Amino acid sequence: MLELKKKSSFRKRWEKEIKAFLNHKIGMIGLFGVIFLVIVAILAPVIAEPVSGYGDYEDKLLKPSSEHLFGTDDMGLDLFSQVVWGTRSSIKVGIIAVILALAIGVPIGLISGYYGGIFDTIGMGITDIFLTIPMLPLMIIIAAIAESNSINMVAFIIGIFSWPSIARITKSSTLKVCGMQYIEAAKCLGIKTKSILLKHVLLNASTPVFINLTIVMASSIVTESSISFLGLGDPLTHSWGKILHNAYQSGAFGTAWWYSLFPSLAIIFFVISFNFLSMGVRDALNPRISRE
Amino acid sequence: MAKYITKRILKGIVTFLITITLTFFIVRLMPADPATLLMDPRMSEAHRQQLLKDFGLDKPLIVQYFSFLRNLLKGDLGISFMQKRPVMDIIMEKLPWTLLLMTITQFITMAVGIPLGIYSGHKRGSLFDQIVNAVAIFGISIFVPWLGFTLLYIFGYNLAILPIGGAHTPGIDGGLEYFLDVGKHLILPVITLMSIYLANYVLYTRGSVIDVLSEDYIRTARSKGMKEMRVLWKHASKNAMIPTVTTAGLMIGRMVGGAVLTETVFAYPGVGRMIYQAVSQQDFPILQGAFIILALSVIIMNIITDILCAYLDPRIKLE
Repeated sequence: MLELKKKSSFRKRWEKEIKAFLNHKIGMIGLFGVIFLVIVAILAPVIAEPVSGYGDYEDKLLKPSSEHLFGTDDMGLDLFSQVVWGTRSSIKVGIIAVILALAIGVPIGLISGYYGGIFDTIGMGITDIFLTIPMLPLMIIIAAIAESNSINMVAFIIGIFSWPSIARITKSSTLKVCGMQYIEAAKCLGIKTKSILLKHVLLNASTPVFINLTIVMASSIVTESSISFLGLGDPLTHSWGKILHNAYQSGAFGTAWWYSLFPSLAIIFFVISFNFLSMGVRDALNPRISRE
Repeated sequence: MAKYITKRILKGIVTFLITITLTFFIVRLMPADPATLLMDPRMSEAHRQQLLKDFGLDKPLIVQYFSFLRNLLKGDLGISFMQKRPVMDIIMEKLPWTLLLMTITQFITMAVGIPLGIYSGHKRGSLFDQIVNAVAIFGISIFVPWLGFTLLYIFGYNLAILPIGGAHTPGIDGGLEYFLDVGKHLILPVITLMSIYLANYVLYTRGSVIDVLSEDYIRTARSKGMKEMRVLWKHASKNAMIPTVTTAGLMIGRMVGGAVLTETVFAYPGVGRMIYQAVSQQDFPILQGAFIILALSVIIMNIITDILCAYLDPRIKLE
């Protein structure tokens, strides 16, 4: 009975926001884009046969045709297949990066916001430093030194540097929530700090964090593509950045426009979808900004 | 103000110290040890020991760390594995090009982005605003190397009106001709690097103008019968710029990342392209040095931005 009551109050609480999101055209476009990408990633083995190694010499740099929708690369390999399988890597990198960003950023933000004082100084001090220093060169250095650059390793490197924005947002919303009376009440009732933090503070601070997650997702793909483009990605996995790296290395980007166009469009589609989604969620939760 | 500036500089120094400590240990603690990478496997053991000693790699880590700090104070960043020259000299040859590229990009971005954001926030919901918004969303989603390649393809190869790479034409060394030549080489890299950041400036400024325009003092200004344009450009814009300038500091750090990609695509002889080359040559002293110098530049630019912010918004000093 209690469960039921809880559920319906949850529905009631978010009804307005869900409706606002469904009416948000850009947000819905983003949502469909994201769903499309996830489906492509899951169905990759059904959509296209994986390609690797060297293709036939006669298939070198073929223009897009019905047989090769996106054309072929300088090895004679089908680009459509590479782009489809690249979707899988991108989603994987995004998810790993998001999980790591949450695992590091949320505790730092929560502790800084809830305890304040010395915890806040240290926590936010570290966050500030990580926000200031140029991240991409640092990640490039680590990727260059790391012995194996599997796709998981690249995702890990991106993840351990994606948390500062999450930490900041968690902290500011924690501060806001901690000022509310029900937290005071919970403290007075003698509820353990741990359960106050996890149950009350975290739950209520989670919406702005969620909005930020979609942005972390989008930027982690840009970073992964950049790292792969510079030749530091996983040599054994298809990724959009790696196709661009090959295009650049082969010198064919000037003649074979399809070589660099399709992976780039894939990256742009991915980033735009997640940005649109985050705009939709943000506007739905924050009607003040969106009244246009 | 003096107190605030001192505090800010001290914070900058602490940030820098932590950054270099982090870099040092990351480079040393990674699985591939620089010594093995540096060595030729055919090298004799005695030769190997001598090389390790020359690069100071035979001492304990903590000793290496302090000698690293001491050398850094003297401006010594070690010797490049590949070029066998001081890293500092190599970086100092490249740094001016990167700073030139980034400074020009930053100025143009702010000069175009802030007014565009203010105007579009003022005309919120209009066709102009919607177009600016749509373009900006595409702008933040663009992948830098792709934009670079496309511009190269169109203007460098097809139309052949702009140079396809480098920072200047060898042989032209002085006077107006050199100046124009360098400018011509900058056009495509600046446009490429600008794309993402311009969109960011427009969106930030737009957002804060919308906030500011609903403040009481704007209503007061309007009710005094002040012209709308004067309200916008005189009263609203100054306050709307504060969040934008604050984020400018953070943006600079990200712009460095964009510069690495841009310089690689355009074969621009800056620190970014040097990082790309050092990666393929596994030249760690260069990588480490480049990162330290870039981090230092970003920290200094951040201090300047913060002081500018405190000037714009006196409340910041009190915190």
